[in-house]
Amino acid sequence: MSGLPEDPFQMDEELDDRSLKSVNPIARESNQQDQRLLRDGNTSNKLKAVGTQSHQVPNDIPELLNPVAPTYGDVTDAVDDDEQQYEEDLDDKLDRSMYNQKTSKEVQFSLPTKELTPPENFAPVINNIYRSSFPHPNNFTFLRKLKLKSVLCLIPEDYPDSYAEFFQEEGIHIFQLGMSGNKEPFVNISNELITEAVKIVLDPKNQPILIHCNRGKHRTGCLVGVLRRLQKWSLSIIFDEYRKFAAPKERPMDQQFIELYDESDIERYAEKNGLLPIRWD
Amino acid sequence: MAELQASESKDEPGSSSVVKIMKPPTTRIIPPLNFCPVERQLYRSAQPSIINQPFLKDLNLKTIIWLASEEPQDDFLDFCSNCHINVEFVGLMNEYAYKNVNPWDSLSEGTIRRALEIICDKENYPLLVCCGMGRHRTGSVIGCLRRLQGWNLASVSEEYRRFTGARGGRIMVELLIEGFDINSVQVDPSKLPEWLG
Repeated sequence: MSGLPEDPFQMDEELDDRSLKSVNPIARESNQQDQRLLRDGNTSNKLKAVGTQSHQVPNDIPELLNPVAPTYGDVTDAVDDDEQQYEEDLDDKLDRSMYNQKTSKEVQFSLPTKELTPPENFAPVINNIYRSSFPHPNNFTFLRKLKLKSVLCLIPEDYPDSYAEFFQEEGIHIFQLGMSGNKEPFVNISNELITEAVKIVLDPKNQPILIHCNRGKHRTGCLVGVLRRLQKWSLSIIFDEYRKFAAPKERPMDQQFIELYDESDIERYAEKNGLLPIRWD
Repeated sequence: MAELQASESKDEPGSSSVVKIMKPPTTRIIPPLNFCPVERQLYRSAQPSIINQPFLKDLNLKTIIWLASEEPQDDFLDFCSNCHINVEFVGLMNEYAYKNVNPWDSLSEGTIRRALEIICDKENYPLLVCCGMGRHRTGSVIGCLRRLQGWNLASVSEEYRRFTGARGGRIMVELLIEGFDINSVQVDPSKLPEWLG
């Protein structure tokens, strides 16, 4: 890439026309890089994908961009569910078929590639507290690296049977606080359950801990929002963080929950147990 | 506001008619925009401003990697020197060795490599990586770091786009991350942070 002129990577939106014209050279350039990477054997995953189309020349660019799309498209979520009337609630449901299908096969496939796949919406929250969406079997290699002591699951559904082995091997303790997400107009996240969740998460005995629900957006977002309130973050920044992880399905009710949550119980509990203030490592 | 209450309550010490506010407003901690932990003691954000200083103090930073092509504001530099934070300027516009001609240019491979070499040295921790908005330049460096960690590209892209705001991610940045030669980063294995080893 050293010989590459600067302008193919122009970052200014105003210069869109110019950068569009120079798309072809980039395509060729990145292709060369692809082939170089393939030779290095670093991306065996891609090797498999690309290898099927005998000689890939410039037309594999769409292939390059494809991995990005599923993360943001919600089409796939909505299609095969029969509860069409609450489109936005589909996220709250665990699609069990998805996890059962790709159990043992998926594990075997993910091992030889050596590529780490974090669960969608994965991020550290504070120190040894992490958040994510529902982990797939192909995230297990990544999760092992976190050396988790426990996992806090915020959905009522049980894990597929195939997960037990992984949790046992890793000695991970499972906490399950099944709560329904905030749904207009009647269903609310319960204050008490979130308080219980905070107690579990803040307990150093349970850390490192991973918090997850189904998509890592709403229920996890509410819990993280409450943790931020205990850190005394300003509400605007808490909402900003919530929206980043919930996009494109931000729920005003979740933000309202975070704002109105009564923290007096948990604060009393946390102060008694020396859990506040939460300091950065 | 807090000072105002203090002076009111001092006014007439003996008078019972003075209204005391028993519960003053709690202080709000304001992290910089786009703030997020990346790994243990490694953080990312947009350019911090004065209102973020109490928060930054809590992080006990040792180093800040400054990726923007412009110099940071003076108050920010003052704050860093007061707190003994070492600011590493990587990707400044005027350094002739780096070819960033415009503020909106992507980082060059050399710049990213230099940033990664700082990140791969645990002596520099706790460490904050930032640029103007904490989107594309910071995203490029963190994206290449994730590749160094062995993340697959789809996960790298998902994380990058989470921080890019309403205008979305730039394909150019993603091509840069994908094409970056992770083998060109020179690291001292004994200095690697625990999570990279």
